[in-house]
Amino acid sequence: MFEEASEVFDNMFKSSFPLTFIVFIPAVLILVSPLPAEAAHEFTVYRMQQYDLQGQPYGTRNAILNTEARTVEAEVLSRRCVIMRLVDFSYERYQKALRQSAGAVVIILPKNMSTMPQDIVQQFMELEPEMLATETIVPVYFALEDDELLSIYTQTLTSSSSQGSSSAAEVLIHTATANGFQMVTSGAQSKAVSDWSITSLEGRLAGTGGEDLPTIVLVAHYDSFGVAPWLSYGADSNGSGVSMLLELARLFSRLYTYKRTHAGYNLLFFVSGGGKFNYQGTKRWLEDNLDHTDSSLLQDNVAFVLCLDTLGNGDSLHLHVSKPPKEGTPQYALLKELETVVSSQYPEVKFSMVHKKINLADDTLAWEHERFGIRRLPAFTLSHLNSHREAQRSSIMDVRPHVDLRKLSRNTKLIAEALARVIYNLTEKGAPGDLQIFTEQMVQEEQLSSVVDWLTAQPRAAQLVDKDSSVVSTLEYHLGRYLKDVRRHYVKADKRDPEFVFYDQLKQTMNAYRVKPAIFDLLLAVCIAAYLGVIYLAIQHFGVLYSLVRRITAPKTKQH
Amino acid sequence: MTLFHFGNCFALAYFPYFITYKCSGLSEYNAFWRCVQAGATYLFVQLCKMLFLATFFPTWEGGAGVYDFVGEFMKATVDLADLLGLHLVMSRNAGKGEYKIMVAAMGWATAELVMSRCIPLWVGARGIEFDWKYIQMSFDSNISLVHYIAMAAVVWMFTRYDLPKSFRLPVTVLLGLCVYKAFLME
Repeated sequence: MFEEASEVFDNMFKSSFPLTFIVFIPAVLILVSPLPAEAAHEFTVYRMQQYDLQGQPYGTRNAILNTEARTVEAEVLSRRCVIMRLVDFSYERYQKALRQSAGAVVIILPKNMSTMPQDIVQQFMELEPEMLATETIVPVYFALEDDELLSIYTQTLTSSSSQGSSSAAEVLIHTATANGFQMVTSGAQSKAVSDWSITSLEGRLAGTGGEDLPTIVLVAHYDSFGVAPWLSYGADSNGSGVSMLLELARLFSRLYTYKRTHAGYNLLFFVSGGGKFNYQGTKRWLEDNLDHTDSSLLQDNVAFVLCLDTLGNGDSLHLHVSKPPKEGTPQYALLKELETVVSSQYPEVKFSMVHKKINLADDTLAWEHERFGIRRLPAFTLSHLNSHREAQRSSIMDVRPHVDLRKLSRNTKLIAEALARVIYNLTEKGAPGDLQIFTEQMVQEEQLSSVVDWLTAQPRAAQLVDKDSSVVSTLEYHLGRYLKDVRRHYVKADKRDPEFVFYDQLKQTMNAYRVKPAIFDLLLAVCIAAYLGVIYLAIQHFGVLYSLVRRITAPKTKQH
Repeated sequence: MTLFHFGNCFALAYFPYFITYKCSGLSEYNAFWRCVQAGATYLFVQLCKMLFLATFFPTWEGGAGVYDFVGEFMKATVDLADLLGLHLVMSRNAGKGEYKIMVAAMGWATAELVMSRCIPLWVGARGIEFDWKYIQMSFDSNISLVHYIAMAAVVWMFTRYDLPKSFRLPVTVLLGLCVYKAFLME
């Protein structure tokens, strides 16, 4: 047969040269074509943070992944992808995986965080900064759980945990027939994003009564932070701060429209970006306003700067300062007014001042007011958190249920009252402590609620919000409704000595393919060879089979 | 799974054909080209069937769960063309006696193997994902080889003049079974 076949091919080749091309080129193309494969399951995964801050790298450095899946119980973890569920997650297991040079780690998070018990959530929140602090070469991904992923996990679990089982024959059969999973990501290696600009917004309400009025600055940073940028919704920190700022802007713009209530203070509102990355937005804004412009509200008479950070929960309020305010200064006035309002109108709130000196030797600054403090502007931060190191400020677990709307609106009213008393100088004029300037309806809870809902509907990590993002433009629109001179402010990292570097490939599609071990192929080959041998023998001795069949059927016909 | 797995499935599918060709003595009769011609006839018959089906049988608009008996019956009847094709091959193709059957069946089945199984195997078995259906497909091609040989033999018997009358009925029944096999399985 081969001779005839070769004859045919010879004729084909000799006759016309293009014909051979027509025959060969498709064959070659098919051979080298990439395979579009169908996976057992395809799901989105979110990568852990990767950034450089002031030259120091943080987070995971790698994005590509093409390894077999295992769970932590398996003995051999090197170059495998370790899958863990959040309920089983612990730092020791994570370290164990990294120590054994695992290929990747995938952590499965439940779809609804609120179903998790509090202690697990708390433990994970505390582990997040530790995970980020150690620079890992191994890519770490987070995935949201669904049924198929859960079934993949349980199958991998059974196969991983039975690796240490007893007899050799069992192990052999098991390895030959097991159903493994290969996890493959479809993206490229992560690269630094060049020319990323962080956007900040400012707006003002001008006071009445001549030039050189004192200015009060209200600041809140709108970005969020967590161990995975695409999963950081930042409800309390700092969605609460931004919504409070917008509400204060609305209240004071209403007051400032009437001549009777137009006060003699300029109000400057600043929504800063890059807050979680050492307050980059604020830093550059200050440099631009103080060093590079001739006249700016910040250069003249600044009464104080009030930064709002994480105010959506809790029954305590802390005023963080870097220098205790001296008597007779506007900051001291605000401190006193806050104490007065709290003691007379909101006795359930515990108010205190926390004094922390600015430590320039630290990697990052603690609160936003320290940026202003460095430039010798009097500033403080209001927060319900006691310390800047609290895990809640930078966690992916900070989702919408973390904000208690009643407490947020109570805090908003509190701050609005205190500010009004300072602006209108009410204590000196003899107004009693429990005089309510703003009635119940003035602070609109629905507005606060809708702003917080909108803010927590999308991840607001600084790497994800660029200047065309809808978050920025919506904030700009909102500010423009109440304030004048709403302007954008951009920060780009310095080319030669960048303060911050962001990396891409933060969201990937991962495919899980069902694979069988290599031994299975060999086993199959052996079986097929045996089967073919049997067929060959059957056909060779077909005559024997035929006569056998005839002998069986023949007695029947003889009986007819 | 990999090229190796593809090789496995391909071997499972193709080697019985090869073995049958070699061992049934067809190679001594220089029947390679005749098999290719039989394969070409298969292609032609399939093309005609497809055109016929597409033209005369519109898509069934009914509910998903209802099985359109009449429609499927008509479609299965078109498979009679398969039998006609086999008959055509055997009558036109010169070849001695019983070897006609073998030549026709081999060519037919090989063409079916190449057309309907090679490409799924190539695309599917070479991927990373493993699925039992590729082994099933290869095994299925073995069974269809035997099926086509039997079908060709029955068609040949049907056309013989000197067939005893008593055999006519089972032969017809078998032929009917061949055609409506797919239909009856539903």
